[in-house]
Amino acid sequence: MRGLQISLNQTQKIRFDRALEKLESLSSKSNSNAAVTVADSIPVNFEDGVLKGHGTSERDGEIVATLCGVVERVNKLVYVRTLRARYKPETGDIIVGRVIEVAPKRWRLEINYSQDAVLMLSSMNLPDGIQRRRTAVDELNMRSIFEENDVICAEVRGFQHDGNLQLQARSQKYGKLERGQLLTIPPYLVKRRKQHFHHLEKYGIDLVLGCNGFIWVGEHVEAKDNMVEDQMSKSEQQSSVSSLNEQEHNYIPLETRQSICRTANAVRVLSVLGFNISVEVITQTVELSSSLNIDIHDMLGAEFYVLVAEAEADRRSLLTKKK
Amino acid sequence: MVGLSLGEKHFIQGGIAQDLRSDARKRLTYRPIYVETGVIPQANGSAAVKMGATEVIASVKAELGKPTSLHPDKGKVAIFVDCSPTAAPAFEGRGGEELSAELSTSLQQCLLGGKSGAGAGIDLSSLSVVEGKICWDLYIDCLVVSTDGNLLDALGAAIKAALSNTGIPRVQVAAGATGDEQPEVDISDEEFLQFDTSGVPVIITLTQVGKHYIVDATAEEESQMSSAISVSVNRHGRICGMTKRGGAGLDPSVILDMISVAKFVSEQLIIKLDSEISAAEAREEE
Repeated sequence: MRGLQISLNQTQKIRFDRALEKLESLSSKSNSNAAVTVADSIPVNFEDGVLKGHGTSERDGEIVATLCGVVERVNKLVYVRTLRARYKPETGDIIVGRVIEVAPKRWRLEINYSQDAVLMLSSMNLPDGIQRRRTAVDELNMRSIFEENDVICAEVRGFQHDGNLQLQARSQKYGKLERGQLLTIPPYLVKRRKQHFHHLEKYGIDLVLGCNGFIWVGEHVEAKDNMVEDQMSKSEQQSSVSSLNEQEHNYIPLETRQSICRTANAVRVLSVLGFNISVEVITQTVELSSSLNIDIHDMLGAEFYVLVAEAEADRRSLLTKKK
Repeated sequence: MVGLSLGEKHFIQGGIAQDLRSDARKRLTYRPIYVETGVIPQANGSAAVKMGATEVIASVKAELGKPTSLHPDKGKVAIFVDCSPTAAPAFEGRGGEELSAELSTSLQQCLLGGKSGAGAGIDLSSLSVVEGKICWDLYIDCLVVSTDGNLLDALGAAIKAALSNTGIPRVQVAAGATGDEQPEVDISDEEFLQFDTSGVPVIITLTQVGKHYIVDATAEEESQMSSAISVSVNRHGRICGMTKRGGAGLDPSVILDMISVAKFVSEQLIIKLDSEISAAEAREEE
């Protein structure tokens, strides 16, 4: 793996290499014919009428890969998809982004893509929850909904005709994410699943796995009803200027914070090792660390990396045996 | 540096107040330090240090020169820092110059003491070859490859590691030189003298966030700081230099408290660094 700069001692190195070998042997059985490296020739059935896509080129009458990756075929199009590619949004993806600009009638978000995504004011629920036409007053009050540098969870609505990426955040579960931390991992580690919002009840934390590689780990927040929120927000605005003492009382309780840090460290370890991130793997890693009574900070130490690699190798061998 | 939302800032401040930071470190715990020596073979000594996502490289080159007339029995050391554009987009072109100048000055103050040469962490008299005529000039160049906070500590550690990796060639001085004549010197290519680094201090940066101090702040935590003090402490617990950054003023009692905290942390850091440096040199020999 790229950049595993952890100093392992001799026994740890042996165990680590053994776990990696086991993982490699398990994975190479499937999909071996689909993976190509540079200058591998790509087998095509029909030489006439094949479209050469990204990552291919013609050489001596046969199609040769110019990238390292996986061969994808769509009808007559053949292309090579790299593994560590930039995030490629698809409609319906749940993503986590950061507001970088408040523009007329829209917010611009940074989502780890080659362009910034746009969240229109009309694609966002108003604070009072009424479905109505957005007026000029709404436009002037955009900052009261989202400000610069806010972390937001939204869904990809689609691409505009001019190429812009549009988002929507109409449901109750989307919106601003507060009281937690944002982690960045390579986007290819997050696979598209049915559920990207996870509420880990055992620890009382929310886990949002954005398909763009932004992972949010935070304190659990109940999805608030809009009517109730309107009354509450009025009283909050009155006491918005809080002193340091009041802020201290508002800090996240220590136990929840420990769970947040443990989950965040589990995600960090898994992303450095290059394993796919999903709720099951994360909860297993967190349970592994708490069952072995490993101090949360030691989760970033060499020993835990080796343990996680071994646990993942065991888990995958169990899965293949079941098949 | 990306901005942080109010909720994230609150989370960071709460973590520091509750002694459980974002990656579960305590306030006075360092990130894992990874040292690699001998990364630049053409230099007399070099080292790369990684503290979390902060990565710096230091190299030492030794050249023969003439000592200054004020200090004829001491060699010279010059420290330069360069912030590479790969570290942050802001460093492209001349953007990193301000930070480089600030880091160079801080390092010089922390490691070399004042202008008179008093209180230097690096023993300059060991660099003298012929008093008044020839001395070794050490040029220490540092490169910031990637920045995630706490650059000064990482640079201090890299310089300490590079100096322990430095081999100064043995010099044979031709006997019988008189008066103002430049004596002939024969620089050996084979034999090297290891530079004595037992007196080189480490730099500890204490960042104040709210009412608490933390050690080894990440870039996110540094954005929340009110002020920071960098203290260089040597093996014997003596302070070799100090710099203060940040806009907030500090009460003198707070500074004295921070110095004693830095002294306490330095004991563990020196032990950790020494073991990492020897592990790196063992790895290099393999």
